[in-house]
Amino acid sequence: MVGRHRLRAAFAATATLTSVAALSQMSVAGATTEPPDAAAEDTAAASEAVDLSAFEGESLTYVYFTDGAPDEEATRAAIAAFEEASGATVELQIVPFADLETTLQAQLSGGDVPDVARVSNWRPFAGDVIDMNEMFGAAYSDQFLPGQVATALGDNGEFLAVPSDITMNGPFINVDAFNEAGVEIPTEWTWDDMIAAATEVQEANDMEFALAIDKSGHRVSTVLSQFGTTLLGPDGVTLDPAMAETAITTLTDLMAEDTMSADFWLESGSRYAGANEMFLAGAVPVYISGNWQVAQFAETAEFEWAAVPNPCAERCGGFPGGKYMVAFQGSDNPELAAAFVEFMNRTEIQQQLAEGASWLPTRNDLIESGITYPNRPDDMSVFLADIAATPEDTYLSLASPAFSAAATAVIEEIALVVAGEEDVPTAVENIIARSEQGLEDAA
Amino acid sequence: MTEAEGFGAEVGRLRRPTGVRPDRGFQRGEGFLPPFARKLTSRQFAPYLFLVPNMLVFGVFTIWPAINGFRISLYDSDNGRQFEYVGTENYRRILSDDRFTDVVRNTLIFVVLYVIIVTILSTILALMLDAQRRGSGALRAAFFLPVVISPVVVGVIWGWMFTRRTGIVNALLDDVGVGPQRWLLDKKLAMGVIIAAAIWTHVGFYAMILLAGLKSIPQHLYEAGRIDGAGTLQRIRLITLPLLRPTTMVVIVLSTIAGFQAFDYVYTLTGGGPVGGTTLIVQYIFERAFQSPIQYGLASAAGVLFFAVVFAATLLNYVLGRRKEAM
Repeated sequence: MVGRHRLRAAFAATATLTSVAALSQMSVAGATTEPPDAAAEDTAAASEAVDLSAFEGESLTYVYFTDGAPDEEATRAAIAAFEEASGATVELQIVPFADLETTLQAQLSGGDVPDVARVSNWRPFAGDVIDMNEMFGAAYSDQFLPGQVATALGDNGEFLAVPSDITMNGPFINVDAFNEAGVEIPTEWTWDDMIAAATEVQEANDMEFALAIDKSGHRVSTVLSQFGTTLLGPDGVTLDPAMAETAITTLTDLMAEDTMSADFWLESGSRYAGANEMFLAGAVPVYISGNWQVAQFAETAEFEWAAVPNPCAERCGGFPGGKYMVAFQGSDNPELAAAFVEFMNRTEIQQQLAEGASWLPTRNDLIESGITYPNRPDDMSVFLADIAATPEDTYLSLASPAFSAAATAVIEEIALVVAGEEDVPTAVENIIARSEQGLEDAA
Repeated sequence: MTEAEGFGAEVGRLRRPTGVRPDRGFQRGEGFLPPFARKLTSRQFAPYLFLVPNMLVFGVFTIWPAINGFRISLYDSDNGRQFEYVGTENYRRILSDDRFTDVVRNTLIFVVLYVIIVTILSTILALMLDAQRRGSGALRAAFFLPVVISPVVVGVIWGWMFTRRTGIVNALLDDVGVGPQRWLLDKKLAMGVIIAAAIWTHVGFYAMILLAGLKSIPQHLYEAGRIDGAGTLQRIRLITLPLLRPTTMVVIVLSTIAGFQAFDYVYTLTGGGPVGGTTLIVQYIFERAFQSPIQYGLASAAGVLFFAVVFAATLLNYVLGRRKEAM
């Protein structure tokens, strides 16, 4: 198992730096929307590789979870383009994110295999999906960011999931509330700065809390990283107890002081809870989440808001994430499924999806050419800048097969601390033990 | 021949076709069939034939999955397609898991309190509805209404009601001078809230069952009680409750099973929180089977243990109930 981790690490360690460097070069506002020559060549090569007209009259199912209305709308437009190009029909099956893995496992176990799915974690389906490099040639994965490709490789280097968008965690602020309080909009800040500013704005605007963060191990991993540590690495558990204690104490102290809502953390039990409603209700001036909120906030927020840089402690940057498209081997028409995934991740389609859904692209050519976001380009550029500042070990942590188990442990152990049933050192010990158990189970 | 025998024999003669021996019933084509086929067509076997469609469905959708669940509990699988045999390892892990111990304790507390309170309240409600002369139909409908509401909706609404900062319950308590309570933040209060939600949801259903039982008690017994000078409470204690015991046993068995199976409204109300204070056994199984990282073997082992507990509790209820009936 360790050997497998090392293999992934070898890919990821070299690849992540490349992707970070590439993303840091990506311009947002004012960038050209036309793909560069290299991108056009890639697109042409891919188009030549797949004769879409061969699928005329056929149909496929695409199991999809939505981040909100804008991405669904953009996806439907992309599907329409595929249907026009191929003559095939696509049935879009939208399932709640919480039920996605269960739904897919049930479909696979029952023999009712979908053709394509959008997933955030492809590992549970590793034995069921198509190696896209085998289907489209060994160089196919070269079109995508090496760091993201490294998180999509099977044990033997198969390219099992096509990274369709990359996400970056980071904070949002209520600009109206900041202005009302006379607090400057941050262009860079530390955790101490952020807490001080958030508290000042909260008090000036009589808001319920100063700070909110989604109740998610993925989002808390951002805080852990900023305080200098990560949950997992290629060789196993990497959590530094002292750094983790500082990070967790910062959060639990904020809850004990009512700067953050302890109720929010405890009342939802073991369920995920997003603090976006608190932010949108004007109950909190600073909210730590991620770039996928941009499109939704652009439509629903009734006040001026902005994405701002992640706060620094021991180090800066956020925490990455991403979505993938997978084509299933056992579907009725695996060739069509693979062709659909390939089409949906072509330059012009991924560009259209990124613009419409406020997604960050995963293709090298789009990184080079840039995306002109029609909505909130300044906010998207903040997230892009944070990608460049994000340490590479965060990608390795995310790529670990035990990340899900470790993230669950983080949430549950923090809840115990907030409820006063455990101290922080014990919580950290338990997180490490449960992460090790997660690695053992994954092996 | 007694009068009854004479009437029964007469009915038998009317129903039986001529030429059929009275001790063997109607056996069509008897002369052409081998002995085993004669048995198959016997009247005594007919009820079992009628049961076949139901037993087929029950076998396919309940018995077979249960057997398969036990088999899976001996394997490790994270996708339901590839299985690795691990023997009793899943049972060992569960029984040494402190969270499972907490979950079993929570479940037992929930079930015992829920069954006792819902049985008492549904009996009182049934007695009140039975005594009601005007508008009893509307009242029955009102009390039964929560039964038809989606449990998920029940959980969500109760969650809103009991949220500390914005819940209506704390707002009302505040209005009457009582400070806000940590309903969903304190383990004991949260357990109280889920028990209250369960009772609110089901009390109407059990009251209807008990009401049917009350209607079947002959009125002349109450008249005799009145003539003998028994007051209302005495009539309830000496006539109603003893004669209602079989129906009450049904309510106890049904509510025990419902209590053990509680999940949907609890999950949407508290999510099993705070910090596992209201996590019941079905949620524990659900989270291992359907939340990442998926562990079907562990979930199945927990399911098998759960089955053993429910079966034992139901059997105990039944045996105790029968013993009381015999007394």
